[in-house]
Amino acid sequence: MLNKAITDLLTKMADDELILGHRNSEWTGLGPVMEEDIAFSSMAQDKIGHSWALFRILEELPEGRPADLNAFCRPEAAFKCCHLVEYPNSGYDFSLMRHFLFDQAEAVRYESLQESSFEPLQQLSKKVKGELKYHTLHANAWILQLSKAGEESYDRMQTALNEIMALAAGIFEPARDYEQALIDEKVYPGEKELYNRWLDRIYPVLVKASLNLPDLNAIAPAYGGRTGQHTPYLGPLLKEMGEVFNLDTAANW
Amino acid sequence: MSLDPRVNRLKLGDPNAVIKVEEGENWNVYEVFHQEKRGAHHEHVGCVHAPDPQLALIFAKEQFARRKKCVNLWVVKSADILAFDVEDEDMFANNLEKTYRDASGFKVMEKINKFKQSSKGTTDVK
Amino acid sequence: MYGGGYIFEEPNNRQVREEMLHDEPEKLAAFEERIARGEKIEPGDWMPAEYRRQLIRLIEQHAHSEIIGALPEGTWITRAPGFKRKLALIAKVQDEIGHGQLLYNAAETLGKTREAMINDLLSGKSKYSNVFNYPAKTWADVTVIGFLIDAAAIVNQVANSKGSYGPYCRALERICYEESFHLKQGHDAFIELATGTPAQKEMLQDALNRWWKPIMHFFGPPDKASLHSEKLMQWKVKMASNDDMRNQFLDMYVPKIWELGLTLPDPLLRKNPETGRWEYSDPDWDEFFRVINGGGPCNEERLQVRKWAEEHGRWVRKALMKPAEKHSLPVA
Repeated sequence: MLNKAITDLLTKMADDELILGHRNSEWTGLGPVMEEDIAFSSMAQDKIGHSWALFRILEELPEGRPADLNAFCRPEAAFKCCHLVEYPNSGYDFSLMRHFLFDQAEAVRYESLQESSFEPLQQLSKKVKGELKYHTLHANAWILQLSKAGEESYDRMQTALNEIMALAAGIFEPARDYEQALIDEKVYPGEKELYNRWLDRIYPVLVKASLNLPDLNAIAPAYGGRTGQHTPYLGPLLKEMGEVFNLDTAANW
Repeated sequence: MSLDPRVNRLKLGDPNAVIKVEEGENWNVYEVFHQEKRGAHHEHVGCVHAPDPQLALIFAKEQFARRKKCVNLWVVKSADILAFDVEDEDMFANNLEKTYRDASGFKVMEKINKFKQSSKGTTDVK
Repeated sequence: MYGGGYIFEEPNNRQVREEMLHDEPEKLAAFEERIARGEKIEPGDWMPAEYRRQLIRLIEQHAHSEIIGALPEGTWITRAPGFKRKLALIAKVQDEIGHGQLLYNAAETLGKTREAMINDLLSGKSKYSNVFNYPAKTWADVTVIGFLIDAAAIVNQVANSKGSYGPYCRALERICYEESFHLKQGHDAFIELATGTPAQKEMLQDALNRWWKPIMHFFGPPDKASLHSEKLMQWKVKMASNDDMRNQFLDMYVPKIWELGLTLPDPLLRKNPETGRWEYSDPDWDEFFRVINGGGPCNEERLQVRKWAEEHGRWVRKALMKPAEKHSLPVA
């Protein structure tokens, strides 16, 4: 039971990081200014790197599959990523706001895992600490600066926040069958707790940026991803991502 | 159709459209200084374009420290750097001749040896 | 990455002579002596107007080649097979942007702003390396680019890094260091296909056949046809002849291709044991000039994508512009 629960937790984390890292890496070479292009690309690489580390932990578990096979040729319904990461990059405003909300959530999650009873996650959380510090520093700086840089820029930030908030709340969809077991076994504190810690983290930044947090009681978190129900954007993304690998999954690439 | 699926998602504009970037749109220039390890000097490694010091530092971190070992960085606006004119290089020219500033300008051992030589035989060392 | 496939602007000799008359002959003599002694020229130094003009042109084209060069390989970022290849490819394309950043800064020290250079790229006034006007059709193309185009670029860039202009040399030192990672990861991916399944091998051979002509073009037209002046060599702006660099590249890499059982689509390609020089068929220089003037398979798309990026990033840049602030160029 606990094994299944841990596999579920690792898989959803790994899928989130892979899909968002993939999306964000699409900006490499196309960013608004070279310096930011470089910074954003590094953070996309970090996400894919975290995902790889998680897939390698999965590989070591009973019935684990090789990381590349698991990531590059699993059917869509077996993916457990949240809807937030699946959306295509509609613009840099959207990508930056998603980066801010997701990376703050990621930071909160990995911080909590520093006390995890599951050793490999505890170790990983210590390893990624410095990277996530940079990611949130970068995200906070951009959100603050663009929200204070005139009307057009402020409007773009507020619009992006309004669009993304329900998707971002979907990060914290509780695991249907496993949530309590993971909490009881002190693997992690549970989605509800992480959600509250996340709000505590993003709220002061939004206030400083004079952005209005949408009414949380009025939004319906975009759930479903954790149980394999996805937006129409995930299927084509997976097909594209696996295009070369799936030419011959037995070959070395 | 592009061979790049990313490009196909971009909805490219008219190839003949005139797109111009305004002067100053790539922001101001900051010089970057890199410290390789604690206790070492910060060394100049290049510069970044950034709208303010905070983003300059954030940009510098990935452009100048994503591979090389690094423990800290400084950024300073290029406009705030004061340097001598190149023509003033001659001010530094005779530094090497001023041996009184240099350890090598003082021949202590020579004097000691000379003293020892000259006092040999005249003084008994017990 | 970049090759000698650019065309130096033919020096207007009358203009150069006149400039030299005005340019105080003692200063010119001191400048040339400094270069002859192997010293570097720095941004604040006196330099002939023609030296400044040719250097801006050279470094700017190199910078453009980096950010345009990010596009053909970027084509495969979303499809790279497996974690390691995916990460290495993103990191590599990121490095190309990083190189562009370093090079635009180096060119800016000579007095032309980054914005002006970007505008000249977008309008087609300023060129970039021809090789990036060809498509990367399959994953194997990425391995050919990563191995052979980067290898060729290193030959060129190592030569240029011994040039006379300090800021350009310093940028190239860092670039060459990173290119060695590119070459290694490219070679690794190339070998993986060469030693893989028959389908992988076929894919690679096909890509190699398609890229051979652009690779032969990479170092630019043969010496007898190119217009490099002795002055540029004397001033250490141009460091090696196109044919010498091409020969060096063939010497280093053709054996590495042949040893994997791959072939190259040129029946005349061989090293002449007597002269020690490589011989090859004429690689169609008309095509080279056609592509440089906009007639290549991807010229239009490359610029269209750069225009898209500038246009869609504009609101970000404009929002944080500080028009009242005193602007300056990089100091070194």
